[in-house]
Order: sequence, then structure tokens, then C-alpha cells
Amino acid sequence: MTDYEVSVQQLNDLLSDENGHFSMPSKDFNEVYPRILLGNESVATNVKLLQQLRVTHIINVAEGDSYMHVNTGAEYYVGTGIIYHGIPANDVEYFDLSVYFEEGADFIAQALAYDGDRGKVSNCKFSVQTLICSVMGEFKVHRVRFFDYMPSAIHALAFEPKRERIAAARADGSVEIYDVADNFFQEKVVPGREKRATEALAWVGERLFSAGLNGEIVEYDLDNHKVKYTLDAYGGPIWAIASNKQGTHLAVGCEDGTVKLFEVCEDKIQFERNLAKQKGRIISLSWHPSGLRIAAGMMDMIRVFDTETGQSVHRLLVERGIGTAKSKECVVWSVVYLSDGTIISGDSSGKVKIWDDCTGTLIKSHQVTKWDVLTLSASQDETSVVAGTSEGTVVQLQFISMVLGQEEKEWVRTRTFKNHTHDVRAVLEINMAIVSGGMDTQLVMRPLLDKIEVKTTATAFRKIHFPHRSLVSCAKKTGLLLFQYPTHLDLWRLGESDGTGMPGSSLAIKRKPEKLLHLKIKGEDHVCCSAVSPCGEWIAYSTVASFRLYRLHCDNNNVSITKISKLPKILSSANQICFSSDSSRLFVASTSSTVHVAALSQTECKLISSLKSKSGSGQAIHLLAASEDGKWLASANSAHEVHVYNLKKMKVHCTVPIYSSGVSAMAIHPTTNNLFVVHADQQLFEYSIDQKQYTDWSRVVQKNGLHHVWLERDTPVTNVTFSRKNPAHIVLHDMYMFCIIDQTLPLPDKKSQFYNQLTLRSLPEKERKSQSHAFKVCKTYKELLFAGLMEDQSLVVVERPLLDITAQLPPPVRQKKFAT
Amino acid sequence: MARLQRGYSEPREEKELREEMSDQSDDEGPEEVTFDASKAVALKSVKDARDSVKREKELLKEKRRKRQLLFQEQKKSRLLPEALLEEFETVVQKPPSLPDDQAEQQKEKKIKMKKSKKVSKRLQGNCRVMRVKDGSGNTSMQKSAMDFIQARLYGSGTQRTTNAELLSLEKKRGLHQGAAVQFTNKEWGADQKAKAEKCNKRFIHRQKLIST
Repeated sequence: MTDYEVSVQQLNDLLSDENGHFSMPSKDFNEVYPRILLGNESVATNVKLLQQLRVTHIINVAEGDSYMHVNTGAEYYVGTGIIYHGIPANDVEYFDLSVYFEEGADFIAQALAYDGDRGKVSNCKFSVQTLICSVMGEFKVHRVRFFDYMPSAIHALAFEPKRERIAAARADGSVEIYDVADNFFQEKVVPGREKRATEALAWVGERLFSAGLNGEIVEYDLDNHKVKYTLDAYGGPIWAIASNKQGTHLAVGCEDGTVKLFEVCEDKIQFERNLAKQKGRIISLSWHPSGLRIAAGMMDMIRVFDTETGQSVHRLLVERGIGTAKSKECVVWSVVYLSDGTIISGDSSGKVKIWDDCTGTLIKSHQVTKWDVLTLSASQDETSVVAGTSEGTVVQLQFISMVLGQEEKEWVRTRTFKNHTHDVRAVLEINMAIVSGGMDTQLVMRPLLDKIEVKTTATAFRKIHFPHRSLVSCAKKTGLLLFQYPTHLDLWRLGESDGTGMPGSSLAIKRKPEKLLHLKIKGEDHVCCSAVSPCGEWIAYSTVASFRLYRLHCDNNNVSITKISKLPKILSSANQICFSSDSSRLFVASTSSTVHVAALSQTECKLISSLKSKSGSGQAIHLLAASEDGKWLASANSAHEVHVYNLKKMKVHCTVPIYSSGVSAMAIHPTTNNLFVVHADQQLFEYSIDQKQYTDWSRVVQKNGLHHVWLERDTPVTNVTFSRKNPAHIVLHDMYMFCIIDQTLPLPDKKSQFYNQLTLRSLPEKERKSQSHAFKVCKTYKELLFAGLMEDQSLVVVERPLLDITAQLPPPVRQKKFAT
Repeated sequence: MARLQRGYSEPREEKELREEMSDQSDDEGPEEVTFDASKAVALKSVKDARDSVKREKELLKEKRRKRQLLFQEQKKSRLLPEALLEEFETVVQKPPSLPDDQAEQQKEKKIKMKKSKKVSKRLQGNCRVMRVKDGSGNTSMQKSAMDFIQARLYGSGTQRTTNAELLSLEKKRGLHQGAAVQFTNKEWGADQKAKAEKCNKRFIHRQKLIST
């Protein structure tokens, strides 16, 4: 109770309204402190309600029998199990209440210590618990919450309609590519770079360009997940980049007031010319679909340029907001130029304005929000425009006729979606959904139900919080965890506990988890992959520019690290890193789908061979899995190809048949050498490497089909591990659950209950077997970044509560809510 | 009566005097002064002037004398160790000459450096040579652009609240009701706690709740 203090002044402020009068609570009771409710007489005398609220102790501070008092006593609660304590206080100014303080505090402390029904909110960063599931068996679970993963805000989105890809640029300069058709799987990630500050994205065909406040235009190499080249535009920070529909030119809007046109050539872009220079920065740009005109949003105005002559044709003045300071300019954050000559603008006064470019006049203005309209996007058929606001709302405007059957159409505000808590910085209207992203770092896909004919998993509402790949790697043998942050790596040793405990209870911690290492990355590039060897002696990480390998020495309390300086030259950068199970080999996935194999000895690292599949797309590898016996290596790339290499012969062994969905996780079974692959659409495959074919279990799964509840899960599985104790058990996890698949049990029937743990527990022992099925899902741990089995059969669960992420976000707008 | 009259007459005289004074100030006419009085005044002023000149001269003399004395004493004090000084000079004459030379050389070098610098400056006029790539201009422009966006979205007048408040509001109105976030997570309130404590002390002090 002592760790939170409120001043007397604050209490006064809390209790009084604007006029200084005391305001009464709006409710009969409130939870004023975890597990402590403060209520009035009506609650105290309502035993039924008290029981509903699972109240165990009650303290009456107005004991007595006058009309000012609440006449209850210990006998009033007889039979309810509620422990009573009364204080006969009077509401008069000379009454000394302080003599009762200690007594009351003692009673409350005693009540809190009482292990009542109301769950205690746990905030510990680390705990060891035992978990029992009726058929799963017992696990010791390391619940880890010290990975302070912090995603960065989404600043821009761009849609490529032909292949249905969405590119998202984040504040740290990274760019992610999502496959819309493939369950919004995060297919590619181009790591960021310090000071890149990407502000805008543009697709030209299948090429992706970005521009940022550092004044550079960047083209990405999407095959190898890196930057192809950068080009300085020499116009100061760039606020906007837009490509014309023909795909021949790029326009960038610069801080110095110039719109620069670049010609898109093969393999590069070439500066063509400047349009007439303006005073003030160019914030937003949009091409007319014909490519003859460009609308540019600036401070207080919109300019329309003729791209042939380079001269400004129109100047549309945007008025400043009402109620704001007159000196505060109106920023036109976003413009959209439609093919019928309509210009739509969103500005900092919270208005979406519709202009006619022929006459240069304002047709209509919609006050959408009190704050800023930050982004606009038009649908492909130009009948709908969505606007993202600072409030976190996305507002849709549609071009429809006001009277049924009449030709005349108007832009009307139709729907409002609120899926964000913070500013929406980027929004897209794609075929049948609205995709938005912003300061709250999540990407939201909101289906437009009027355009969807058949409801499938592909058209479901989605929120993407975490990356679709693992940022955690663990040394299974020694209990080390390596966390990958953009600019550093953290190595932690797990804690230890002794003995066993009741299922579900926390165990006493014998040794606390400790942070062994904080490795800061040199240079401006961010980490793209990292790994710790199973024995915990080697750490490797790679950025786009460099690859580094370290050897870790741990004697008792001393941790030292030595950098391996003489690395083979070919290991200059990596897309994925993996160690063999005995830590004697290092596998580095490099550009164009090659895997380099290096041998590790005490002090050096020697290249043995480079593996490359002849028949392949040359896309970058994003997953690697080595077998326990050191014989096989599997690689998966973003073209959905899975190759298996024989490490004894250093040759390609086989290629797993290509499936339509991306590989989200895979691993090779330690005893049977079966490759277990999970795809982004939740499909599971087991492939026997020895026999070069799918296993019988996998065939049965495909024949029967998976349960619809499993297929409807909206986050991909990001890690697969196997149980050493029971080879038939496979442990998978996604963001909201971890799951154990028991291959000996029958698959769930289509009509059977999928989450059947609770029902099973209630059944008698004999019936359990007949009712149980292969999927055992545990949702005790949420917001998972990692879950995996260690060598000693303990489960490590790395959680990152979304609440903690929200706490670190920039401030949201203040909205007045009624009665708060 | 006579007394009374006199009593009356006195203020009259005063009035006249005042009138005279006012006349003087208004410069309406020349003042009537007797010859004797004016002569005495003139003589006195001449004498005063003479006296003051004399006094000044004397003061000056005194000053000079004092200075003379001071010089003499200084001379005496210097005279005393002169023999010793001479001895020293004969011994230490050579060694100090070297550092002097070095200093001179250094000075010369410095001068040369300065000269060379000056030369480059002259060549470039008022400009300096800088690589554009690592120029701070770019980063400062980037910073100002970022400041602009920060000011527009989070600056004054943007009506922002805190994340804690937002989450607490959800807790208050949402399905799963509970205590405010600051209370449920111990780490959150840290700064508020410190602030509250400070505020509390100030409040108590101001209200004089505790007499110290």
C-alpha cells in the first residue's frame, strides 16, 4: 500500500469538479486498488452482489444505527463467509478518525494476504511455474518477461495490385512486405538503418522505392531483402514520393519546395528535371492517372503542376482551422488526384476537401475530425476514399448518388472505423479491405463486408502486432536466451528453481535470471538476424553490411567475449544464421539462396563449402533448420521453396514440393529425421527426408483436413520444437497460444470440440482417451514471442504484454468521454 | 493694535520677498544691489579663487613628494640585492637563451602557419571547403523536418493525453473493469510517486498543517 502516494492536493482535485464542489462517485462501487473495492451502503447491504463480486472481507467505516450510519455488523454477514470489521465513525469535523487508521490498515492487509477468490494480478518479470494438462503431462515453465521488444511506428504503406503485396515502412527505417493473398504473411523484412526516417513508399511495377527525411531515395532489392542503392535528391528532406500509373516516372516532394521528376530506367533512376520551385515544403504528392498533372499539398495550399511545362497551373488555397491560432499554418498532409479531375485533400484542420481541378474551386468540405487528417487513399475504382486521422479513426467517404436512381453523385461520408488507439499515419484501401497502420505500431486489416461475398479466413479481420519470425534464439543445453533488438543483442541466463510445486503454482526461485551480455552493434545498420549456438558458446549476428561471430567464455560469474577476427571473406552478410546441434558447424544463408557451411574450432572459423540448389528462384532464405545428427540441413526461402541438403556429401538431397503458402516455421525431428513444416495458412506437413516423401501422418492430416478452428487462427506459427522425452510430441506456438501435437492420438473430428482441455478434465479417466485428440492448446500464456522446450524438458515462454508496449508509445489525443 | 498690525505686516513682507524672488526668476527687471555689498562679494570671490589655486598646488606638491619618496624606497630595495643579481645573471645567462630561441622559432612557425592559413583563406574568399556528404547541413535539415512534424503532431495546442490515462479509461469503461493502470503496474507510477511526494510536502508547507 505504501508504494503509491497521492498528495492531499491531488485528492482534493480528484474529489471536486471544475466549480470546486465535491462530486459524488458515479457508481455504487469502484475497484480503487487491485482487489480493493470502495462502495456505498447499497453495496454493503446487498449480500448477493457481494457474493457475486467474490468479496471476502468487508470494512464498515460508518458503523452505527443513525440514519447517517450503515447499520451492519458481523452477524449481518453470517453464513456468507465474509469477514467483517466495523469502525464507528461519525461524519463530524471534530471526530478524530486517525485513531482508526492503523486498525483499518491492518485489516486490509490481512484481507489482501488472505488467498481469496479474486485473482491476484501478477506483475513479476520472471517466474517459474508448473503447468499440468490432463494429457500433456507436466512441465516446468520458465515464464520470461524481460524481453523489452518494442516495435516501431508505421509511417507509410503502399499496395502493389498485381501480386497483391503490401509494403509497410516503419520509423526505424525497416520495410516489411506482406502477402495479402497468403493470410497477410510477413514475407520479407528489409532491416532498417539509423537516421533513414522513411516517410513515403512507392511501387513501380514490382520495384519498391522509398524516400525519407534524410533526403535520399532508396530502391530495395526484394530478392535479397536489402537496399539496392540510395540516391540523394539534393532537395533536403523528402516528404513524399509518388509514381505515375504508367510506371515511367517518380516524383518526389522536397523540403526546399521543389517537385523533382525522376525517370525510372532499368536498374536505376535518373533525375529528369525540377518542376517550378515553390516557397515552402511539399508535403504530399499525387499524380493524375494520365500522368500529365501532379497535385502537391503544401502549407496552406495545394498546387497543381503541368508535368509537360513544369509550371504551376492552379493554386488552391486551403483555409486554416477555426479555433486554432491564426499563425498556425494549415498543413495539407495528403492529396489524391482522381481520373475525373477531382482532387481530394486531407489537412491539419481535420477536413477532407474535394476540389475541381478545372476551375480550381472547392466543391465540398467534410469536417472529419477535430485533429489532423494525416493520410488518404482511394480505392482502385475511385468510388471510395479512406482518411486516417490523429484520433485513430479511419473514415470512409464514398462517391454515391444522394437520391436513389439519379445520376448525380456526390462525395458522402459513410463509415468510421476505430481500430487504433494512436494516430493513423498510413492507410490503404485495397480490393475488399482497409489496411491501416500508425503510431501504435500495429497493422490492421479491416475487411469491407459489403464487398465480400464468401467469408473466408483470408478476408477476416486481422491485427498484426509481432513480426512473423522469431527474434529469440535459445541455447537449449545451457539455458541461455538471446534476444534480438534492432541495435543490440541481449543474452540472458534463465533462472533456476528447486523442487516441484502444485500445478499452476509458482515455484520458489533459487537463482534469479541474469543478463550476461549486452552487445551493441557497430555501424548504422540494424541487425537482420542473430543466433546463439545450442551449447551457448558462440554468438553470431549479421547486419546488411557485416557478419560477426563471437565466442563466449563463461566461468562461474565471469563472462568474457572474444570476437573471431579472421572470418572467411564470403561471409560478409547473412539473411539467416543457424548452428549445428553439436555447435561444430555454422550455417549462414547468404545472397541468392546460397548457404555457406563453416567449421568452428576453438579460435577460428573455416569455410567448408557453399550449398546452392540449381533449380531455385534465388530468393533470400529466411529459415534454416539443422538435424540433430548433423546430417541434414533444411532451408526455406520467400518463394516458398524448401530445400534439404545432405551435409555429408555437401549436396542437395531433395526439394519438398512447393506449397502455395509461405513457410512460417520448420524443424527436423531429432530421432526420426522428419522435416516438420508449418505454413502461413496454418497447414502442417511432415516430410520424411530419408524416403523423400510425405509421412503417413502428414497424408492423413491432408486427407482429413485440419479442424476449422485451427485454420481460422490469425497469427502464424513461429517456432517448432520437439520433446526429447516423448518423440511423438511436437510443440508449436503462435502469438496467442502454444500447442502440443500428439501424433499418436487421432486427429480432431470436424464436428468435435477443438479446445477440449476443460471438458477432458471433467471427464472420468476412462472416457478421456476416447474423447481426446491430437491438438492440445494452452492459452495460459499470451502475447508470446517465443515458446520452446529446453534440453531438460522445461518449457521457456517469452511473453511481451501489449500493455507494456502501449505504455511506451507517444501520447495519444485527449478525447472527452462522457461521464469520466 | 500695533502688535496686531505688526503681526499682520510680517506676512506682508514675506509676500513681498516672494514677489521679489518670483520677479528674479522671471527676469522682469535688474536687481538693485548696493555698491558696498557688490564690492565685498567681488573681493571675496577673487580671494576664494586664489585660495583654491594655492590649495591645488599644495596638493600636487604633496603628491609629487610622496611619489618621489616611493621611488626612492623602491630604488633602495632594488639596490640591496643588486650584487647578488649580477652574480646570478652571469651564471644563468646562457641557459635561458635557448628556450627563448625555441620560443622564437615556435613563434616563427606559428606565424608561418598563420600565414599559410591566411593564404588559403585568401584563396577561398569568405568560404570554407567542406565535403557535402558528411555535411552537418543535411542532418540539421533532417532534424528541423523532424522537429516540424513533432511540433505539428505533439506540440502545444495539440491536446494530447498520456497512455496511462488512455488505458485507465479503457479499464473504467470497458468490459473488464479494474483499477487504473498506474495502480496495477508498480513500475508505472514511479515518476508520479515522486511528484506526488514533492507536491504533498509543498502543500503541507503551504497550508502549515504541521507547525515546525
